[in-house]
Formats: sequence, C-alpha cells, structure tokens
Amino acid sequence: MGVRLAADEGFKPPSTADFNLPPVFGDNPFTTKPVFLAFLSVILISTFFILSARKASIVPSKLQFAGESVYGFVRNDLARDVIGHEFMRFVPYLFTLFTFILTNNLFGIIPFLQFPTMSRVSFPYVLALFTFVIFHYVAIKHKGLMPYLKEIMFMPGVPKPVYVLLTPIEVATYFIVRPLTLSLRLFANMFAGHLLLLVFILGGEHLLQGVVGLKLVSPFAFAFGIALTFFEFMVQCLQAYIFTLLTALYIAGALADEH
Amino acid sequence: MEGTLNLVGYGLSAIGPAIATGMIFAAYISGVARQPEARSVLQPIAFLGFALAEALALFGLVLAFVL
Amino acid sequence: MSQKNSDDEKRKSSQNEENALWSIVGYLLSGLIIWGGIGWGLDRWLGTTYLVLAGMLLGAGASIYLVWLRFGRD
Repeated sequence: MGVRLAADEGFKPPSTADFNLPPVFGDNPFTTKPVFLAFLSVILISTFFILSARKASIVPSKLQFAGESVYGFVRNDLARDVIGHEFMRFVPYLFTLFTFILTNNLFGIIPFLQFPTMSRVSFPYVLALFTFVIFHYVAIKHKGLMPYLKEIMFMPGVPKPVYVLLTPIEVATYFIVRPLTLSLRLFANMFAGHLLLLVFILGGEHLLQGVVGLKLVSPFAFAFGIALTFFEFMVQCLQAYIFTLLTALYIAGALADEH
Repeated sequence: MEGTLNLVGYGLSAIGPAIATGMIFAAYISGVARQPEARSVLQPIAFLGFALAEALALFGLVLAFVL
Repeated sequence: MSQKNSDDEKRKSSQNEENALWSIVGYLLSGLIIWGGIGWGLDRWLGTTYLVLAGMLLGAGASIYLVWLRFGRD
C-alpha cells in the first residue's frame, strides 16, 4: 500500500502500465503500436536514403547532402576512427544500427507518434544480441576459438590461485554484462525519458482541471514539459550514438591483437 | 504513488560518487591540458580513482535491490 | 608519413580512453554481481545474512584489482 497523492479525484501518476499498449487488431499480440513504429521506421529510412542517393551528382542537392552527411558521420567518425583499417566491412551494419535506433528514438517526440519504440525492452535486446553474435564471431574468426577464450579468461602476470577470483568476472563481463548493459542502457534512457514527459504533460493537464491556484501553476508544468522535450531530443541522439559507438568498440576489441 | 525507501537511499548515495567522478576527471583534464606529456602518468591514476568511486556507486545500486 | 603516424597515435590513445571507461564499469558491475550473487546464494543455502556483503566486498576488490591489471599497470 503506498501513499496516494491528490486525493480528491485521484490523479493517477503515469506508470509502467502506460507502456503496455493494447493490440491494434483484435488480440493479436504482434500488432501493437511499437511493432508498427518499427516497420514505419524501416520504410522511412529506406525511402529517405533511396531518394537521397538516386540522383547523386557532383554538386549535391540538399537531400543528397543530408543523406551523405549522416553516412559520412557513421563511416568516418564511428567506423574508421574506432575500428581502423578493416572498417569498411562493418560500415553497413553500423549504419543500419545507427539510423534504425535514431529514427525509433525520435518517434518519442514526434507529434502523434509519440512513443519511443526502444522503451519496449525486447527491441534493444534483439539489437544487442546481433552485436553480441557479431563481435564474438569476428573475434573467433580473427584469433581462433581457443586463443580467444584464453585471452578472455587468463590475464597474464597473475599468480595462479587468483584466477579463481578473476576468471568468473572476466567471463561474466564478456558474455553477460556487455550485451545486457548495452541493451539496458538504451532501454532505460528511452523508458525514463518517456515517463518523465508523461509526468509533466499529464500532470499539467490535471492541474488545469483543479482550483484556480492550481490552474496558475499548470503553465509551468507544460513549459517544463516542453523544455524536457528538447532535452529528450538530445538524449535520443546521444543514445543512438553511444549504442553504435560501443558496438564499434567491441568489434575493434575483437580485431585487436594482444595488448 | 508507490515505491520503497531503498530507492530514495540509493539516490542519496549516488550523489557522492557522482561528485567524486566529476572532480577526478576535472583534475585529469586540467592536468593534461597544462602538460600534455603527463597524460601517460595521469591516465592510470585517473582510471583507478574512477574505478574506486564507481565501485561505491554500484555498491549502492546492488544494495538497493538486495536489502 | 610521420604526420599520419602521429594522428594514428592520438586516435589510438583517445579511443583507448573511451574503451577503458566503458570496460571499467563493466568489470566492476560483473564483479559485484558474480561474487555478490554467490554470497547471496550461500546465504539462502546456509541461512546466514552476512555472506552477501562479504561476497560483494570480495567482488568489488577483485574487480578493482582486475582494473589495475588491465589499465593501471605499466
């Protein structure tokens, strides 16, 4: 039993239940809003980049310039600077990841859509699973299975009994904590951001229905909600960048030779 | 509104490590900015300080769930 | 050629820094979870209450040692 605030008609604060959206068609659980948003993002991204690359010319149009600067950012600032000389193989994956996450995050503040797809935890889980499989595959291909496992489990230059203490930590870091933190960081940021916006906008609306004194306070709640929307925009771009950057860092670590 | 006091306690306990991490990196950045060749000396110290401060923050996080 | 090399050096060192910070957090978290989890399990099994704390301290110590091995030692 918790304490209830605003006792008169009971303001219901936004909770995790606000993220369980009902299915759109019948009771088929595969037709909820996040699923449609994910499909919509794929359509939007492919249309945008096909249009921007179709009439490519030496003097770029505005659209071509926009498309190319996103691509250039991922290729030069993320892939090339982090991975090094073998980066071209991984650009398609990193580019897809970055644009997909960015578009789906931005759905959180686009009017009428207003739901960040990544605040449903299964989407980040799947993306992190892809990254997990890719960086382990690359490492095993590059180093061989046994040397790779040996590099993970046995730090050089440690007295033998200490391995009992350290090896579980290393294994857990590589196989559990890395994919888990990768996905949970994205999920938690989107979830908390959406909840924060809900609190301020719904709270402002509720204050507007109260007595005169409360009505006077409500514009502040709305103003804060709008300010937080811009803050959310920043967080959404940053999280898409961080997810891609960490993927690139893990791939770079898989390709790096013994340090 | 429902919740447990554990999370309030975790919020309070996170203030300390947050300030500590900020101070560690402020000192590291200004040290490297004044004397770029000192980077290799300062880097391990900054990272170890960061690890110690962060360990306390994570301690609070885990205890908030365990207790 | 030397220009390119020094650029490479700079890029490597700042990339190492970013990489190191993320992996430090990962090591600390998994150290706490693994050894704290073992302590928690032992608590459930033996009916004691102090082994969680002992396991967490052990895990935190071990992961700080690991961080020192990886990043602090020259």
